[in-house]
Amino acid sequence: MPVILEAHDLVKRYPLGEGQVEALNGISLAVERGEFVAIMGSSGSGKSTMLQLLGGLDLPTSGEVVIDGVRISTLDDERRTLTRRDKTGFVFQFFNLIPLLTVAENVALPFLIAGDPATRHRSRIDELLTMVGLADKANHRPDQLSAGEQQRVALARALATSPAILLADEPTGNLDYTTGTEILDLLWDSADRLEQTIVLVTHAAHAAAYADRVLVVRDGRILDEIALGRRRDHDARELIARLATLGL
Amino acid sequence: MRLATLAWRGLFARPLRTALAVIGIALGVAVVTATIVTSAAADAALRSATADLLGTADVRLRAFAETGFTPRTVQALRGFPDVDAVAPVSERRLVAYTAPGEAEGVFSLLVLGIDPDADAAIREPRLVDGVPLSPDSPTDALVAASWALRNGLDLGDEIRLNGRREGLPPLRIIGLMGDTGFAALERGEVLVVSRATLDESFDVPAPIRYLDLDLGEGDVSEALDRVTASLDEAFIVETPADAAARLASAQASFGNVAFLFGLVAMVSGAFLAGNTLAMTVGERTRELGLLRAAGTTSRQVRGIVLRQAAALGVAGAVVGILVGILLATWMIGFLSSTRAALVVGLPLPPMGLLLAFVLGVGVTLASAVVPAMRAARLSPLDALRHSTRTGLGLVDRLRWLVVAELVIVALAIVLLPVERTETPFLPIVLSLGILLGGAVATAFVLEPLGRIIGRPFEWIFGAQGLLGRANLSRDRARTGLTVGGMMIALAAVVALGTVAESARAGTERWVDSILPGGHAIRSSVPLDVESFRPTFDATPGVLVASPVYEVPAVRVTDEGQEEVAVAGIDPNVFQDSGALIVREAERADAYADLRTGGSVLVPAALATREGIDVGNVIALGLPGAEPTEFIVAGIVEYTIPARTPDGALLVGAADARDRFGVTTSSLWIMVRQPDVPSSVFATAVGDTAAQLSAQPLTARDLAGDLARSLDRLVGLFDVLALISVVIGALGIVNTLGIGVSERVREIAILRAHGMTVGQVQAMVVAEAAMMGAIGGVLAIVTGLAVAFTLVTGGASADLDAGLRLPWGLLAAVVLVGTGVSALAGLYPARVAARLSIVRHLTHFE
Repeated sequence: MPVILEAHDLVKRYPLGEGQVEALNGISLAVERGEFVAIMGSSGSGKSTMLQLLGGLDLPTSGEVVIDGVRISTLDDERRTLTRRDKTGFVFQFFNLIPLLTVAENVALPFLIAGDPATRHRSRIDELLTMVGLADKANHRPDQLSAGEQQRVALARALATSPAILLADEPTGNLDYTTGTEILDLLWDSADRLEQTIVLVTHAAHAAAYADRVLVVRDGRILDEIALGRRRDHDARELIARLATLGL
Repeated sequence: MRLATLAWRGLFARPLRTALAVIGIALGVAVVTATIVTSAAADAALRSATADLLGTADVRLRAFAETGFTPRTVQALRGFPDVDAVAPVSERRLVAYTAPGEAEGVFSLLVLGIDPDADAAIREPRLVDGVPLSPDSPTDALVAASWALRNGLDLGDEIRLNGRREGLPPLRIIGLMGDTGFAALERGEVLVVSRATLDESFDVPAPIRYLDLDLGEGDVSEALDRVTASLDEAFIVETPADAAARLASAQASFGNVAFLFGLVAMVSGAFLAGNTLAMTVGERTRELGLLRAAGTTSRQVRGIVLRQAAALGVAGAVVGILVGILLATWMIGFLSSTRAALVVGLPLPPMGLLLAFVLGVGVTLASAVVPAMRAARLSPLDALRHSTRTGLGLVDRLRWLVVAELVIVALAIVLLPVERTETPFLPIVLSLGILLGGAVATAFVLEPLGRIIGRPFEWIFGAQGLLGRANLSRDRARTGLTVGGMMIALAAVVALGTVAESARAGTERWVDSILPGGHAIRSSVPLDVESFRPTFDATPGVLVASPVYEVPAVRVTDEGQEEVAVAGIDPNVFQDSGALIVREAERADAYADLRTGGSVLVPAALATREGIDVGNVIALGLPGAEPTEFIVAGIVEYTIPARTPDGALLVGAADARDRFGVTTSSLWIMVRQPDVPSSVFATAVGDTAAQLSAQPLTARDLAGDLARSLDRLVGLFDVLALISVVIGALGIVNTLGIGVSERVREIAILRAHGMTVGQVQAMVVAEAAMMGAIGGVLAIVTGLAVAFTLVTGGASADLDAGLRLPWGLLAAVVLVGTGVSALAGLYPARVAARLSIVRHLTHFE
């Protein structure tokens, strides 16, 4: 399958007092279309920084990111934003729904931002809500939903424009195990059925086990790459054993 | 470090918000200060004007008859033992010209003739430049300095009087009078010459209207009794207090409206202060929760908030007083140069300034009561949780603010040292109640109104408009109060404009109704009707020249005699031209009764005040003569202006001649032939007037003079209203700033999903614009209600019953509200656009 996301020698440094801290130290990767990749690491390993750079939310100190053929890391803020709008979808740990919009309006947000009336995409919105099991709550507001339901809305929103790549940053971090599993099942389903390319950042092995491939990050570098393949059972034992050999 | 330090650090931690709150309070205090100082300047001017007008005179005798006092009376008084000095003043209204040429100016002036030496014994000339009149120089003239400046005249310039005898040299300006004294009359359109000069200029001497008497050191009332008993002419006695009251009533409107705007600005400032403090407490909930968890008492927490409020209030009040003095300087300069009101100097009344300071601090503290109580009641556990909600409902949050505002307004009404001799308190209090109620109600109608008004913004701005509209409902109390503060200011503009427009409409109706045909000639002395009728009838294009027989008379009641003005009119001329608005009777019947005789039309103002109805009998007559009974045939909305405030009672011309013995007229109604163009007729009337040294009048001229006078005052108050709009805009900056800080993660999500910087800015600006649009729409409703209250309550002497809507202004108010608010949204929009996506999307707290 063609490569849809590439990163070459990504370096990210932040100023800290009189010196600097290096969050990423020369990371390179390639993700194929339809692939589900997980980035694992402990807190402070640089995994979230990596996701932010891969999604064009931030610029690397050096290195390059290419999304679907577009060198996003060389673009100015305006063009980077537009590329992000066209080619990415995000799911964050805190669901970050717009509290004053309904469920349907939240899902339609990418269209609205693009100046596209939501009515033109009614069927797509309905399809997504059905996919996440919230078709009967289209007119509810976020504060009328449970935590799991809110995260499902966030997922539907991220998939609304069928983005080239969906980036999820600890999407289950704020959910209980059962609810989190529902979210991971939906992510996997979209990758498997819809051939959605997904990059998941997580510190939890049972979440990373949903991926086809796991990149282990430590101290700003990729420590190891573990190929799990597309598996319906999402068994984490192999991954956990492998992580143990890495001392994680 | 003391706990109170937290109060000051809290203010400095948010320097922009603190500055905005201080500016808002300062602007409110500035308007109040400017109102106090300007009113003090007006009061000082009135006192000076009265003192300078009458000088050392104990009384002024005003001639009852149009022909004035006789020179024999003047001589007799000069020899009277009780009279130390007598200064006669003759009077004519004349048309004057400057030197012929391209820059020739034409003016209608009140020309006063004085005896320079006698006058100097009574009053100081109060010249700002030049020298007083000399009895030996017949060309000397004094004019008001402000009038001269407005018309580009100076010492040495020539003035010519229309109709002056041939061969006489032109008058020359030798002195410029200050705004008090004679220059206080007629908005400074006054020319003072010697009586000899005035008498020699025309065939008929000018009537001696006034005799100002200095009755020496003895008992004034006894001396006056002896003096008046010795005179055989009819006159009215005026004391300095009477003169002061007459001058004061001329600018009562200014005082009333200035008072109202001072209160409006203060209310706007109070909204901003209260909202700011409430938002600050809301933002610092977690911090306050930590303090409470650590053992800080409720009282201590309340003290922190109140200390902050006191600091804001003191800073705002100090800055506001300084700005207010500057604003007053500008206002006084404006009023002085335009003569919209009589003002002098820049008095800084210490008690007034102290009051403005106390009001500024008090308003801020009062607005802080609710936030302080909320902060004190915070449960440590609730505060340390993520939610910042305190459990107070919308009604609870608004109720205390309403109570605080009512207390502030009540105190201000009692304490503000603005001239209130004729202030109708009830309409003003009701107006403030409407403004306050409208502002509070804004919170409740915000959402439904936002759905309607937000639609066009969604069409224009797309997603940004939708999100902006949704944000209006985020905190209804906070947004509602912010919009309410803007609404109050815009409503003041609507009310002012509607009152002014209604006054203009009233003026137009008045002028149209009392000047049949739209043209008239006013002579400076009464002309014998039979002798001069051929002259008027010879005016090219005239259909009929109808004299109005004006006679000063008295109305005899059970309580005594009251001075009235009576005018005898030709009922046919007035009826045929559609003049006069007759109430309480059929118009045709009223005119028929006038033709029959023994009937009178009574001005509405007099009828309302005295309870006179159609069919009543009133007794009218000349002073000292047997009165005649007249039946009231109708009440007229407007009447011919006269010396009395109510205007003239109208009788038939035949009655004026037969029952009052009037054979002269100084006001001739000129009705045009239908086929003669108006401009041609106007020229012909002007020629006839010039021939008779008289003044041509048109309806448009009369209406224009009054409208210009009104426009000057309205322009001034529009500036004050706009200051209140600025206060409202500061509230929007504050509220949106807080809103952005509460939504940083949400904005980061939107940016992550592809919302550009420009779109984020547009979203915030759209929200701001919608707030202004809602405020503008509500301002129309509220402002019209206030205008109705003021107009029907007679809050100003210039007002007339009935409302005419200034449609252009109403549309402009919505546009201005929207535009100003959008501008106010630019800074918060910039802040929102510059938020770091990454920093606000981090998944750890």
